[in-house]
Amino acid sequence: MSSLKDLQESFQRGILAGDDTILAEIKDSATEERKVLFGVYRHAYVARLAEVLADDYEQLHSYLGDAGFAKLAKSYIAAHPSDRKSARDFGRHVPEFLKTDAGFAKHPELAEIASLEKALADAFDGPDAKPLKLARLAETAPELWTSLVFAPHPTTIRLTFTTNAADIWSALREETAPPPARLLPEPQALLVWRQDVTSRFRPLGPEEAMMWDEAAAGTRFGVLCEMVATCGGEEGADFRAATYLKDWVDMESLADCRLLS
Amino acid sequence: MSAAKPPFLGFGLGLRPQHYSEILNGSPEVDWFEVLSENYMVEGGQPLRMLDRICERYPVVMHGVSLSIASTSPLDLDYLTRLKALAARVNPRWISDHLCWTGVHGVNLHDLLPIPYTREALDHVVDRVSQVQDFLGRRLTLENVSSYVTFGQSEMTEWEFVSEVANRADCWLLFDVNNVYVSAYNHGFSADDFLNGVPRDRVVQFHVAGHSHEESHIVDTHDHPVCDEVWDVYRAAVAHFGPVSTMIERDDNIPPLTELVDELDHARGIAREVLGAPHLAAAE
Repeated sequence: MSSLKDLQESFQRGILAGDDTILAEIKDSATEERKVLFGVYRHAYVARLAEVLADDYEQLHSYLGDAGFAKLAKSYIAAHPSDRKSARDFGRHVPEFLKTDAGFAKHPELAEIASLEKALADAFDGPDAKPLKLARLAETAPELWTSLVFAPHPTTIRLTFTTNAADIWSALREETAPPPARLLPEPQALLVWRQDVTSRFRPLGPEEAMMWDEAAAGTRFGVLCEMVATCGGEEGADFRAATYLKDWVDMESLADCRLLS
Repeated sequence: MSAAKPPFLGFGLGLRPQHYSEILNGSPEVDWFEVLSENYMVEGGQPLRMLDRICERYPVVMHGVSLSIASTSPLDLDYLTRLKALAARVNPRWISDHLCWTGVHGVNLHDLLPIPYTREALDHVVDRVSQVQDFLGRRLTLENVSSYVTFGQSEMTEWEFVSEVANRADCWLLFDVNNVYVSAYNHGFSADDFLNGVPRDRVVQFHVAGHSHEESHIVDTHDHPVCDEVWDVYRAAVAHFGPVSTMIERDDNIPPLTELVDELDHARGIAREVLGAPHLAAAE
């Protein structure tokens, strides 16, 4: 007879590694053999986690198809035993897994589709914060704007894609045929955030992406305007910077602003 | 810790995101909701907003799936801290989880795994329930699980084990009617023996659910309507335990809310037949 600790370790090995040692501790029922009965647990572990992955990576599932996604789920489940209390966290390594697994890494759009889905999910139940409103900015005297610094909404996530994964995701979401995967001539910047209760994303042009990254790092508005001028030309630079800022406020991707003393 | 048994809440449903708008925009005939604790251990966004709105309108109980009370790995203090914080937000009538384990060595198998009914396991579980109750500052409610295997080393029946845990650890019980039916079928015991073997004064909640029949055994899938055989056990449970807060539990293949409300009405009807209407006036 094994102790409770030994029995649980053996039971877990039976589920994770297919080890049959535990069967010696289990009885046949009147109608079924112990191996079949224990198999209910073995099957449930893989089936439940595969379902979790399919829910969390819905468009990746559509893109890969049932057979392709089942192959991914099987390898991922074997490589990453669940180590969190919530199943919601189980698939958090999928983008990295797709990037590093020899079979999947040949298709770089896969990891990027997964990154987008994970970012949207993370934004969905990320921290709450009231969005920055234009009225709050209007309270600041125009001559002080150069000293303003901004805090991104805590749900914002910046991604940089090398493929057209965002277009593929959008097509799949609309249930239309996705465009063929291709590498982009230049990397594409994306911003993911939550507006009210809805996760959103949008591409950022190179100049806007540069300004976002600097703003998120705490660079004051006066310097942001100078950087925009350097990036895209001096003519209309202040207007372009102000337009980006207004867009961010309108889409509720900023949470706060303050004057840098 | 309060010694008072939680009140009879009437007839409730498990809160599922698919039904948020129907619940908040309508007035379904539901007396209370059970929320899955882990689903709301998040930082913000829609889940917590919906939870707050439901809590403003309905009595709520919390139900967890990963306490792993019977695991031989140490209790997860981070999880317990988050559970306690969620309870402070929700103010649940009680907090339940399962009389099972879910993994060891930091692994979560996301399943409600069976315990050998031994004195060693009993002492272990009783000690852990006491620790959790001390940490939460309230009694825990434990649910009997469906199981597919029995262990050669078991020294007592499941209902003896469940009763001993409840009496020695001084906790409440969630009597899952479907799980009793499933385990009775799988292991060849009588559901009546189980329900007669559980102390009446410990049971604060019933779960009623559907399952999948595989001929040689039944799998507790919670993805079907409640079948007649489970309703029969429910009827016997109501007769034995009296008015107990009753809930339809559907976890997969989630139907429209109205379908679950119809099932809940069926439960109400059975309870009314067995106990008579005056006994079913919910405390709320």
